Amino acid sequence: MNLPAAATTKRGAASSEPPLFARLRDAVGSDGLITELEQLRTYECDGLTGHRVIPAAVVLPRSTAQVAECVRACQQARTPFVARGAGTGLSGGALPVADGVVIGLARMRAVLDVDLENQRVTVQPGVTNAAISQAVTAAGFYYAPDPSSQSVCTIGGNVAENSGGAHCLKYGFTTHHVTGATLVTADGRVARLGGAVADTPGYDLLGVVVGSEGTLGIVTEVIVSILPLPETVRTLLAAFPSVEEAGDAVSRIIAGGIVPAAVEMMDRLSVEAVEAAVHPGYPQCEAVLIVELDGPASECDSCFDAVQAICRESHASELRVAADADERALIWRGRRAAFAAMGRVSPTYYVQDGVIPRTRLAEVLAGIHGCAAQYGLRVANVFHAGDGNLHPLVLYDAARAGEPERAEELAGRILDLCIEAGGSITGEHGVGTDKACHMPKQFSPGALEAFARLRAAFDPDDLCNPGKVLPTPRLCGEVPGPYRAHPAEIAGQAERM
Amino acid sequence: MSASAELRVADFAGLVGAANVRDAGDDDVVHGVRPRLVVAPGTEDEASVVLREASRAGLAVVIRGAGTKLTWGAPPRTCDMVLSTHRLDALVEHEPGDLVCVAQAGMRLEALQAVLVAAAGHRQRLMLDPFPAGTLGGIVATAASGPLRNRYGTPRAVLIGARFVLADGTIGHTGGKVVKNVAGYDLAKLLTGSLGTLALITQVAFRLHPDPPASRTVLLDSASPDHVVAYLNRLRRLPVVPSCVDVLWPDGVVRVRIDGSADSAERQAQGVAGGAGGRVLDDREAALLDARIAVRPWDLPGAIVGVALPRTHIGDLLELASGRVEEVVLRGTLGTGEARLAEDAAAVTGFRQAVATIGGHVVLQRSPAALGAVAWPPGDDVAVELMRSVKRALDLSGVLAPGRFLAAI
Repeated sequence: MNLPAAATTKRGAASSEPPLFARLRDAVGSDGLITELEQLRTYECDGLTGHRVIPAAVVLPRSTAQVAECVRACQQARTPFVARGAGTGLSGGALPVADGVVIGLARMRAVLDVDLENQRVTVQPGVTNAAISQAVTAAGFYYAPDPSSQSVCTIGGNVAENSGGAHCLKYGFTTHHVTGATLVTADGRVARLGGAVADTPGYDLLGVVVGSEGTLGIVTEVIVSILPLPETVRTLLAAFPSVEEAGDAVSRIIAGGIVPAAVEMMDRLSVEAVEAAVHPGYPQCEAVLIVELDGPASECDSCFDAVQAICRESHASELRVAADADERALIWRGRRAAFAAMGRVSPTYYVQDGVIPRTRLAEVLAGIHGCAAQYGLRVANVFHAGDGNLHPLVLYDAARAGEPERAEELAGRILDLCIEAGGSITGEHGVGTDKACHMPKQFSPGALEAFARLRAAFDPDDLCNPGKVLPTPRLCGEVPGPYRAHPAEIAGQAERM
Repeated sequence: MSASAELRVADFAGLVGAANVRDAGDDDVVHGVRPRLVVAPGTEDEASVVLREASRAGLAVVIRGAGTKLTWGAPPRTCDMVLSTHRLDALVEHEPGDLVCVAQAGMRLEALQAVLVAAAGHRQRLMLDPFPAGTLGGIVATAASGPLRNRYGTPRAVLIGARFVLADGTIGHTGGKVVKNVAGYDLAKLLTGSLGTLALITQVAFRLHPDPPASRTVLLDSASPDHVVAYLNRLRRLPVVPSCVDVLWPDGVVRVRIDGSADSAERQAQGVAGGAGGRVLDDREAALLDARIAVRPWDLPGAIVGVALPRTHIGDLLELASGRVEEVVLRGTLGTGEARLAEDAAAVTGFRQAVATIGGHVVLQRSPAALGAVAWPPGDDVAVELMRSVKRALDLSGVLAPGRFLAAI
């Protein structure tokens, strides 16, 4: 790349300003280009704060055309670019590239169209997840995916990460609720993928762009489907004498043919932490289970009775049923605060995100406890128990010599346990920077090669959020990176064999 | 190099066993194109070697499951070999507690459902209901769906992982066997509906659902398009969650099926009949209607197109169908379905243009080879360029069903 390392050298002198900056300024106006070091620091990391890189510049476009112009400018200067929403991601997916450009989408926050009759809402990528529901709730609708950060995280980021949330057990992920998107390609063209109407002819490019962590282009408009608010919502909190018994209750609920809207579990350490932080009034016990059902009253009520009976049979020591929306909100407040609350019981912690088949829960938890003891560290556990998505929180003290390294190693060991159980290294936080080097544990060289070829089909010059998702030798030391098809092959210039 | 005139059974017998290669016969013709060989690998590794060798020799390969949807899309420009998945038909795993199953791509849907229903202590199903005799791989590759789409979606919604072989023999996988998983690119979405033009799907993992114990059906009969629309609008405002809402035209029928506990299904069905109208059927009538709708519109001759439009224009579609098509079967809350019409290019393009005026689109599914030129509508220019790029990236030598897909991909 040709760009001088502007961010770390003298700035402001017009003579030393790279030509790219002038072109970006033309594209977005001078109030949309940030090159001052102190302002650039705002963008040096996302929610994975252990990784920080200061970019050369940040641009804040206001339209698809401006994004496309910025991308073309970067493409011409052979400068990598990284799209960013609210920066709440937990895997370093929006980590800047040194000497690269961050394309911040925070100014693109218009709700462009609300079509209640067809249950579609069209938004710009900087609209927050919660704002979509807010725009339609008075009419009796909502947007289903609900990541814990929904009041601040943006739909553009949700599309990049294929975000889920507590209610994805029943309702699925972002990919199930996005029907169309406008994509600025890695060379600055504008493609319409999917649409408001189903079954757009052709390959499901939208399906592969959702969850691609900003590596296949930049999404500048999103069409989502909205659902009617359920007639009934029933929520309970159950206290159990052990995590195993809580897990047993979850298995029985599933075996009973019940698909709750959400099933969340927290262990003792997590419960203590949230109690100290936000006082939801949880009972002190080894495991708390939150079960929420929704749907038509006739279906919901009978299933809710069955769930309560199952919890009692699984030795729940206490059952609390939310009597109204306020009590429901109180139950959820503790769960939503779980990550942040860890600060009450540990100076530092690492949020892990792994998935296991639900039936292997007890065994994997025992394995995590064993590993934690071996490393001399504590692990608090918060799970989306219904779908086997674990969030072990590895607690450590960064001030103690060797602890951060041991914590990182333990967190990695937990991923090994997930993969050995037949699961995944990430259920919702994404691979990003954080887990790219773990990808070969879950995917064979052939699978990684197919991923790399797909990526090169969208971005042959490797300028669009490079260094994320797939392992590279530079990133992962001696681990060899996957085969990457030569751009000439992808472009069809290579001969048939 | 071009396909060798010397292409013989013996070349592939060494790879998959002599019993699993044969010269193609009349029954093996693919949408009017006669292949020379039929090869049936018995393992993923064998499939990899077969595809690698075919790629090296520049042989065009069409992948075939049960052969129920071979005429979807345009005819291939050429076809030297049919790769049959019928030997890859094993159930790999069913873990009822995880509501997940994994099966080889050549397993038939009806065979999988039989295994799932028989699992002790559980009542589970894969909530897909097109072409029961079709294979799982074929249903994924065509993105085919039936009436259950209304509640459970298309294969894309329940497919959580896949194993595949690229044309050059590279074996890979995407997703896994857990429902929640964002590691790696979601190639499963890309393969869904790709008509075998990107890779051979060898294994699929699905999310399952509990099989509801009871079912009630409400029937609205002999309705005009206006009545159908008014009915769907009333239905939409009721607090019910139907599994199926099907509109049959020219019958003027709307079928609403509610699945759940016996009590809930009954209460919801009565709620529909009282709040929107229609008659609650007895079990015998409901079963007959189920069987009738399951085969529509596939049981009668003619070309069949997939149609999708804004839900709010269903009434307009029923109006413009008159004189243009023989029948329409729609998922009433989604605006998706099929239409059966004359095997005639002008009929297809005329219907396509009419549907475009109400914001919808039409893709040819079952058709004679002669209609190949009108199989696909044009796509978004930049999106089509990306599709070509993806095709080249995954099928470098262009051997997988060349020409079958959109934009002659």
